[in-house]
Amino acid sequence: MSHDLSLTLREQVRRIERPIWAAHGVVPFGVAAIDSALPGGGLARGALHEILGAGGDEEDGALAAAFAASIVAGLASAEDGIVLWCLARLDLYEPGLAAHRLDPARLVMVRAARDTEILWAMEEGLHTLGVTAVVGEIGTLSDVASRRLQLAAEHSGATAFVLRRWRNGGQAARERALPNAAATRWRVAALSSQPIIAQFDAPIPPLPRGGEGWGEGMMPMTKRGGTPLTLPSPKGGRGFFLEPGIGHPRWRVELLRCRGGEPACWEVEIREGKMADATNSISLVGALADRPKAPVGSEAAASERIYRAG
Amino acid sequence: MRLPHRKGSIAPVEEAPFATVINAAGRRLLAAVSPAAAAAGLAPGMPLADALSFVPGLVTAAAEPAQDAAALRRLAEWCGRYSPWTAPDAPDGVKIEITGCAHLWGGEEALAADLITRLARQGITGHIAIADTLGAAWACARLAQTDRSTVIVPSAQTGIALAPLPVEGLRLDPATTQGLRRVGLKRIGDLYPMPRSALVCRFGEAVVWRLDQAQGDLPEPLSPLDETPTRRVRLSFAEPITDPADLALAAERLAADLVTRLAREGTGARRLVLTFYRVDGRVERLALGTARPSRDPRHLAALFKERLDTIDPGLGVEDAILAAFAVDPLAPEQIDFPGHGLSKLKGSLLVVPAKAEIEERLAPRSGPLGPSPDLVRGSRGGDGPKSKARAENEIGAGGVSTLLDRLGNRLGLAAVSRIEACESHIPERASVQVPANSRHPLPPPPRGREGFAHPRIKSGEQGADKPPRPIRLFDPPEPVEAAWLLPDDPPFRFTWRRRAYRIRHADGPERIAEEWWRQGMSNAVDAIRDYYRVEDEEGRRFWLFRAGLSGSGHPPRWYVHGVFA
Repeated sequence: MSHDLSLTLREQVRRIERPIWAAHGVVPFGVAAIDSALPGGGLARGALHEILGAGGDEEDGALAAAFAASIVAGLASAEDGIVLWCLARLDLYEPGLAAHRLDPARLVMVRAARDTEILWAMEEGLHTLGVTAVVGEIGTLSDVASRRLQLAAEHSGATAFVLRRWRNGGQAARERALPNAAATRWRVAALSSQPIIAQFDAPIPPLPRGGEGWGEGMMPMTKRGGTPLTLPSPKGGRGFFLEPGIGHPRWRVELLRCRGGEPACWEVEIREGKMADATNSISLVGALADRPKAPVGSEAAASERIYRAG
Repeated sequence: MRLPHRKGSIAPVEEAPFATVINAAGRRLLAAVSPAAAAAGLAPGMPLADALSFVPGLVTAAAEPAQDAAALRRLAEWCGRYSPWTAPDAPDGVKIEITGCAHLWGGEEALAADLITRLARQGITGHIAIADTLGAAWACARLAQTDRSTVIVPSAQTGIALAPLPVEGLRLDPATTQGLRRVGLKRIGDLYPMPRSALVCRFGEAVVWRLDQAQGDLPEPLSPLDETPTRRVRLSFAEPITDPADLALAAERLAADLVTRLAREGTGARRLVLTFYRVDGRVERLALGTARPSRDPRHLAALFKERLDTIDPGLGVEDAILAAFAVDPLAPEQIDFPGHGLSKLKGSLLVVPAKAEIEERLAPRSGPLGPSPDLVRGSRGGDGPKSKARAENEIGAGGVSTLLDRLGNRLGLAAVSRIEACESHIPERASVQVPANSRHPLPPPPRGREGFAHPRIKSGEQGADKPPRPIRLFDPPEPVEAAWLLPDDPPFRFTWRRRAYRIRHADGPERIAEEWWRQGMSNAVDAIRDYYRVEDEEGRRFWLFRAGLSGSGHPPRWYVHGVFA
């Protein structure tokens, strides 16, 4: 009798102490450095994850959305379910999401004006069979609400993501540090991109007329037949040139809080098309890589020729 | 066709003569009079000064035609408990089409008696006429010389019943009525022997039309107040109910009642309205839609239950009507096999096996190749549990479509959507919002003005070559103040939402002009946009565009259209 009881209790304690990822497994990022820092080797399924923007992106939530999209894209295709994306304003753009491999056919958008309605919709989604992941863009997330979401996610095995999106800096300052029951808390910030190093075998095309007024950061590109024709900067050196336009997006991904893990920080670069770890379109750039200083625009050189709008 | 007609006087019954007064072109006229005032010789349309000289103690109040019309409309809605075809008949009547409804109340007399009793409870004195035609009912309700409040014209005796009534009963304009009276045609019966051509020559076609309509020789359709439902079920309560739990139970029973009818027809409900008729004559409604045709009573009842808290039962609800307004074909489906799996739910679920499945069940099991009963559901989509799971997980399958219904009914059906790529150069058109339940929502590509198809944009295969697009798109684009150097340059600085951004890298321009093959384009210079992808010092990326060309007279304007990840 007492033996049975102790066995039962031991089983209960084991279940309580079971790490969060053990119940429903994990979804790996495919980036070894990040996966090794996470307990279980990836982002826990059946849990609530919180994603924050940084700086001005706290209002727009572009990076947070892209980060979430790349994770749920993998989840949705692996589990063959749908993704519920609850937001207050329908500003997600399909071609942009498709770049993160999120199939729009698997995405159901729910527009709700108030945070409470979004939380309700998320919870309903988490309780539903066939919903793999739920993403909600929320300003205010109370402790109780986050615990409800976490419990719902634990129960059903669907993964919940909360993108914090604040109306202004004041709200952001109030809300940013408040604790909640999310299993992990991420912050994704943009970094200056590095110029793409391209190799040119062709002779250097001449600079356009009036080239003395062009700053390095403002090298124009023209479109011919859909392929960008880049004008290499003469400072790039022989054979290798720095492409003057925008490089691949670079993010600083911070793991601010993680149940059963340590906070950490990585720099990642998003390279479409040529990803070794193609699952989530994130490939790690060596955090210690030698970064050249970002080129400085030379608007002073031609400041007398400024056209002003309006 | 038998049409009822009821005339209700809305003025309260009082001892003192009472009248409402309306200002008409500077004169004050009586708009409506109480029975006591009518007995004293007053009538609507009489000047107030004359009326006061007849009845010095006349109590008056200002007439409120707008409120009267609203009250009449509410009354017509309330009469929806008798029939779905009701309409207010301004200024003082309600038309109800009771064809096929009277037997539900135990006959026409019983229906009229019930209506009179309930109206009296609301303080309304009514006159009811039931007749074959709308015109006859109208005339009998208003002009029949009888003490009873109900006139029922027997079928096929309309002409006899109309004959003694005055010609005012033909719903003609006053000038025509007066003309008829002047030549001695005072009763409707007087018109019967008159030659038609003479009547038309002298008084116009209206007299003959109205006569024919009243006698049923010309059709006169009744346009109902609301859309008429495809199917409706009614539940009446012995005692008025107020408890939300009782209302929920009523919704459940109505849903169960409705789905049996829908199942018989092989349809499922798409749009439903649950109406509660309160004892005080008010009507409370709940409307909801479903993502796909539904015939699951528990699902429908659950959808209603979520919103029952918006219903105010007042002093009590005496009737509840559930009406299906839109139904779509829904093939009979196998929900359960007796003795397997879900059989404990059988009591409340509908069990209608599909024909093919019945045959399967009847056919002798032919060895290992015959379908096992456990896999009948899965065997439609394919074999094995994998495809079964996939079939259930698709949009439109059980769990998810139920979820979409719940979300849509709480947040509005437009709130639940999907976004789809659309072939268009214009960024705003490249991503369209479609209802979450539609599978093939895209319309065929629009034809050009000359009739040939527009040049198709290659998409999909060459995704890598497509220029990057932002993850969030602002609609409409937000204007920014920008500073730039050369006409084709991206700005080196811009101010957006009161914050200055200094641009470090830029790509572009990508010129996007109007789609000339579409109709209604403006041809304005502003419609040409040059898009730049720019990155600021922090690494945030924006999608800016310049509307208009420099040198075209107006300075170009700059907008931010989206943010990249």
